[in-house]
Amino acid sequence: MTLEAAYAAFGGDYQECLGRLRSEVLIKKFCQKFLDDGSYELLRSSMESGNTEEAFRAAHTMKGVAQNLAYTKLGKVSADLTEALRPGTPYDEAKVKELYKLVSDSYNETVTALKAVFEE
Amino acid sequence: MESPNKKHRILIADDSEMNRAILEAILGERFDIVGVENGRQAVAELQAHSIEYSLVLLDIVMPEMDGFEVLSYMNSYRWIDDVPVIMISSENSPDFIERAYDLGASDYIQRPFDAAVVLKRVQNTITLYAKQRKLMGIVADQVYKREKSSAMMVAILSHIVEFRNGESGLHTLHINKLTELLLSRLSAKGGRYYMSKDDITIVSLASSLHDIGKISVPDGILNKPGKLTDEEYAIMKGHSMAGAEMLGNLPLWENEPLVKAAYEIARWHHERYDGRGYPDGLKGDDIPITAQVVSIADVYDALTSQRCYKAAFSHEKAMEMILGGECGAFNPTLLECLSEAGEDIKAALADTSQSGYDDRELSRITDELLRKNEVSVTGRAEKLLEFEQAKTAFTGQYTDELLFSYSDDPACLRLSHRLAEVLGVPPFTVDPKKKETLFLSAGDSGKALIKKLADSTDGETTDFETDIDMTLNGSARPVHAICRSVWSDELDAKRLGIVGKLIPLKGESSK
Repeated sequence: MTLEAAYAAFGGDYQECLGRLRSEVLIKKFCQKFLDDGSYELLRSSMESGNTEEAFRAAHTMKGVAQNLAYTKLGKVSADLTEALRPGTPYDEAKVKELYKLVSDSYNETVTALKAVFEE
Repeated sequence: MESPNKKHRILIADDSEMNRAILEAILGERFDIVGVENGRQAVAELQAHSIEYSLVLLDIVMPEMDGFEVLSYMNSYRWIDDVPVIMISSENSPDFIERAYDLGASDYIQRPFDAAVVLKRVQNTITLYAKQRKLMGIVADQVYKREKSSAMMVAILSHIVEFRNGESGLHTLHINKLTELLLSRLSAKGGRYYMSKDDITIVSLASSLHDIGKISVPDGILNKPGKLTDEEYAIMKGHSMAGAEMLGNLPLWENEPLVKAAYEIARWHHERYDGRGYPDGLKGDDIPITAQVVSIADVYDALTSQRCYKAAFSHEKAMEMILGGECGAFNPTLLECLSEAGEDIKAALADTSQSGYDDRELSRITDELLRKNEVSVTGRAEKLLEFEQAKTAFTGQYTDELLFSYSDDPACLRLSHRLAEVLGVPPFTVDPKKKETLFLSAGDSGKALIKKLADSTDGETTDFETDIDMTLNGSARPVHAICRSVWSDELDAKRLGIVGKLIPLKGESSK
């Protein structure tokens, strides 16, 4: 699978990313790096331990990274989760859980597709 | 000076390693990048090395300490004056952006960002800041030169007057200091007495000219040892009006604060609060406060100085006499200030050596320089310098080593406490010729060293060592001298000064 095809598979926009970062080599490098990025792991552990403040920061980081790499879908659901977790917003457990599930699903889709590219 | 080939260094504070890596990939080729993963680390890095950074790229949401807190720190330590900050965040609410700008951020880049835009904005911000810093340096230089020359001119003028009076040269300095201390106290009382620090500095400087009119009093009267006749006394009293006329006839400068203050002081420093003074018999607050302050300073200094017709009174006695109303009538608020400032006055005037004055004069100029708003922005370098000076002073005071340093501009010689003691000279002197006095007792070997110091014109920082004979604690001793001439790190290198250490050798002088 090509990287562009993987982007299409997990709901990203390869052309947008190329437009901003201007280098296929860079995109490839960072997509590969994304597989080792600890943000999702931090999000998962802080959600499990109920540390909302840390979960907010992890979701926020995920949002930033996803947006920068034009992982459109993951960026969108991370942004929604970030807002639901933002300090000062009323905490709606059901909604947070639902949004967290969307982030997890999108993350897994993304990782699966990227692995397919790099492990070929 | 930065060499043109040196890469600017950028601090990236972002908790995501991915984000730091992306920025580094964009900027790494042109800039030297240092990354930290939270605000606390960013502050620690700036605390230690702020001077090495040309820019900070700052994320907002970070653990430990967020980006806004980092900005607050940068404001309170004034790092933000010299190190621009670009925020990079996926926060796009106007509140966040506005707050970042309010806290002094130069720019705000939203995620997802365009690599070319990031690079361009970073370059632009660094260039703009560098230009601004250069301009500020030029302004600071100009202000320094201007302040230095006007203080110098006033000092020359007041010296002329004192020289003719046969006064010690300390009277003006005392009046300066007393005026400054009293005005600071008075200003602290607020209300109509409030005066800005700038104004206090100007009035203190103007106080130097209070007796300038004495230039018109004939020698025979001015320096008459005995009692003046009524007629002579009348002429003598004419000095205040004469001074005012001189200062009032400067059409080009009549609106200058310094000239205005000097005029008030010259004309009315012999008025009395009860209206029984001269030349105009003004009463109470009709007498400008500047003149009232100098009047009380003048009386205090006259009491505590020795004159041909009287011995010097102690500080305590002088305070008692003035506060007790024995020496004229003064504004009660001013008397209150005098009483409050008593200890400060005693301490400030206790050090009556000429060297003490030079030190004060220097710190006044530096102070003033730092006080100017437009200059304070170059604060970082000044503060570093101030710290270095404090460090040197501290070392000089507590070390047993015989250390000296001599700076070319301003020309001053600083000796460690111990060296000043064994040579029997003051630890700090301002005079281009004084550096030679250090080695005068060393005879021919000293002269050779002085010549060597003067001849070091190679433009490079170099060390040289030599043995000389010096008189320490009154007896001749062979001494090993190690000197380093220090040059500025510019293309057109200037010699900054000489630092050195003297090591007394065992044994008798070779002489």
